[in-house]
Amino acid sequence: MAIRVLTVEDDERIRASVKLALEDEGWIVDEAPTGEDAIAIFQSTPADVVLIDIMLPGIDGFELCRTIRKLSDVPIVMVTARIDTHDVVAGLEAGADDYLTKPFAPKELSARIRALLRRVRPSAPGHSKLVFGNLEIIPDEGKVTLGGKDVPLTKTEFRLLCELAHDPNGVFSREVLLDKVWGHGYFGDGRLVDVHIRRLRMKVEVDPAEPTHVVTVRGLGYRLQS
Amino acid sequence: MIPAPQPPRPPRYRRTRARRIIRNTARALLPRRIGLRHRILISFGAGAMILSGVLAITTYGFTRSSFVQQRETAEINQAFANAKRVQTDLLANSADVIGALEQFGSAQRLLFSNGVWTSNSKGFTQADIPTALKTRVVTNLKAANMIIDHGTNAALIVGIPLEKAHAFYFELESLRETQDALRSVFIALMLSGAIATAVGIGLGLLVSGRTVRPLVQAAQAASAIAEGRFDTRLETTQDRDLEMLTTAFNDMVATLQTRVERDARFTSDVSHELRSPLMTLAASAQVMHSRRDELPERSQAALDLLIGDVTRFQGLVEDLLEISRFDAGAIRLINEPLALLEFVRQAIAVSSLPRTDVIFAAGTDQILVQGDKRRLARVFANLIDNARIHSGGKPKIIIQFADDDPTKSRVWVIVEDDGSGLIDGEEEKIFERFSRGGSAGQRAGSEGAGLGLALAAEHIALHSGSIWAENRRDGIRGARFIVDLDVFIQAQPVDAAQLSTEASS
Repeated sequence: MAIRVLTVEDDERIRASVKLALEDEGWIVDEAPTGEDAIAIFQSTPADVVLIDIMLPGIDGFELCRTIRKLSDVPIVMVTARIDTHDVVAGLEAGADDYLTKPFAPKELSARIRALLRRVRPSAPGHSKLVFGNLEIIPDEGKVTLGGKDVPLTKTEFRLLCELAHDPNGVFSREVLLDKVWGHGYFGDGRLVDVHIRRLRMKVEVDPAEPTHVVTVRGLGYRLQS
Repeated sequence: MIPAPQPPRPPRYRRTRARRIIRNTARALLPRRIGLRHRILISFGAGAMILSGVLAITTYGFTRSSFVQQRETAEINQAFANAKRVQTDLLANSADVIGALEQFGSAQRLLFSNGVWTSNSKGFTQADIPTALKTRVVTNLKAANMIIDHGTNAALIVGIPLEKAHAFYFELESLRETQDALRSVFIALMLSGAIATAVGIGLGLLVSGRTVRPLVQAAQAASAIAEGRFDTRLETTQDRDLEMLTTAFNDMVATLQTRVERDARFTSDVSHELRSPLMTLAASAQVMHSRRDELPERSQAALDLLIGDVTRFQGLVEDLLEISRFDAGAIRLINEPLALLEFVRQAIAVSSLPRTDVIFAAGTDQILVQGDKRRLARVFANLIDNARIHSGGKPKIIIQFADDDPTKSRVWVIVEDDGSGLIDGEEEKIFERFSRGGSAGQRAGSEGAGLGLALAAEHIALHSGSIWAENRRDGIRGARFIVDLDVFIQAQPVDAAQLSTEASS
C-alpha cells in the first residue's frame, strides 16, 4: 500500500515542490498550509507520516506536534531552520520522531521517512515475548506491558525499545541506535537518542528519575535490563 | 578698492614655544607608559614634597634669622658692656691686662694693646680673627662683628676699639647652642617634610585607587561585552563626573545590544527567506533530475548546470549564514567527545574526496577530542575542498601529536597536498573571507566562494584550537594546513565483551 504523507508547510511553493518530489517515490501526499487545517485533514484521513514546519502561522509546529501526538502514534518529522537552536530539542520533546533542517534534499526526506516506517525485526522463533522483570514486550503485536498494564508507545519508541531488547544486557552506543532506529549515519544527532530514551523512560519506568530498565552505561551508551 | 595692507601679526610663537617646552619637559619627566595610577601617585607625592619643602625652607630661614639675630644683638650688647668694663679696668690699672680680661663672664676674650695680643683662653688667638675684621677694627677704629667657623662650631666675634685705653677688644662667643637649636628645628622640619610626602603618597594611593576603580570597572565591563555578554552594565553612581561616563557607557552598550540583536534577528530572517526558495529549487531540480532521460539533450545540459549551481548556491548560503552567525556571536556548539581517528575517517567519507588517505602516528588512534562533529567535519571537508580545488592533486591527512608539545596534550590533524604551495605572505591572507589564494585569476569562477577557509578558521577558534597554513617541510612542493586541537582524553581500551554484538556489526 502506498505511503500517505501529510506535509504541513505555509510556503505554497515549497509544499508543491515537496509534493512533486515525494509523489515521485510513489507516495500519496496531503497538503496543509496551517496547523488547524492539518488537524482537520489528519482526523479525516490519517497519514502514515506527518511532516511539520516549525514556523507556522496560527498554532505553531510544536503545538501541532503535541496535538497530533495525542491523537496518534504516527511518526512525525519536523522541519527547523537551524540545527543548533533550542528548536530541535523542543520539537523532539513535543513528540517529533526526527527532524530536518531547511533546505533539505527531498531524497534525504524520503530516506528518513522510510527509516521511520521500517518494521520491527521479526522476533526469533520461540521468542515472541521478551520479558524484562515487570516489563514485557511482544514485538510481533507491537505491544508492551508494564506490570500487566498496556504501555502506549509511539512507533519510534517501540522500535527503539525492541532494538534494545534484541540483545538483552548488551550495551548500545548512541551511534548504533541512530543507525538502527533512525537510519542515520555517523553525523546523526545524538540528541535524538537522548530525548527518545527520556520519553521511553517516562513510560516504561516506575520512577523515570531512577531508571531500572533503560539504564545509561556511562561513556558507552544504553542498555535494557530487568 | 585695494585693501589696506594688514599690520603684521604680533609673533605668537613665544607662548606656544613656552608651552611646547613645558609639555616636552613634562613628557620627559612623565613618560606616557607610566599609568594613570602612577601619575596621580607621583603628582601627589611630588606635590606634598615640594609644598613641605618650601614650607620647611621658609620656616627654617625665618627661625634662623630671628634666632641668630636675637642672639647676635644680645652678644654684641654684652660685648660692648664687657669692653666698657675692660676699658675701665685698664684705665685703672694698665698693667694687669689678664686680670681685666678674666674678672667676669665665660666669654673668650682677646686684647690687642701696644702691639701685644693678650688672651684669656688658649682657644682664642689672634689667628682666629679674620683679617677683614681685624682691619676694620684696628685700622678703621670701627666696632664690627662677624660669624666665623671656630673649630667645629660657628662663633661670633665682636671687635671693639677701646680708644681711651688705646687697645682693641675682641670677644668670641660660641654659637653652638644656637646652632644645636637650629639643627633640631632643621631635623624636625625635615622629618615633617618626609611625613608630609609620605602622607601625600598615601593620599595619592587612595585617590588614584578611587579614580582608577571606575576605569577598571569600565574595562572589565567592556571585556565582558566583547565576550558577548551584552547585558553587562556599569553600576550607577552618585558621583556627577562619573555619572557621565556610566551613563554614556551604558547607553552605548544598550545601543550595541539592540544592534546585535537586530543583526541576529536579521540573520534568522535572512535564513528563512533564503532557505525557502532554495528548498523549492532543490526539490524541483530533483524532480526534473529523476526525469532527466526524458529530456532533450540541450535541456539535460541546462538541467545539469542548474542542479550544479543550486547545490553551489546552497553551500554558499549555508556558509554566509554560518559566518553571519559567528559575527552575531550566535553559534552554539553541540559538543561531545569524539574518537579523533574515527571522526576524521567519517569526515573524509562525507567530503568531496571520500577516498583520501589517513596516516596516523602511534598513540593518536586512542585520542578523543571535544567538539561539534558536524562543524568540525565541515572544517576538514573545507580543507579537503581547498586542497582539491587549489592543488588539483590528491591530498592526504596526517594525524600526529603536536611537534612542539612533548606532553602530548595537543594533537595536529594535517591536510597536506602536492599542489603549487603557498606564495610568501599568503599564509594568513588565505584565511580571509572571499580570499581565493595567490593565483586567483586562474581559479576564479571555478568553485567555492572563498569562505571555506575563513569558516574553518572561525570553527577552529570556537573549538579553542588553532589553524595555520605553511609550505611542506619535507622538500616536496605543496601546502599543508595544520589544525591544532586539545586532546580531550586518551581513551581507555573499551571492554569489548561488554559492548553489544550488534555494535560491532
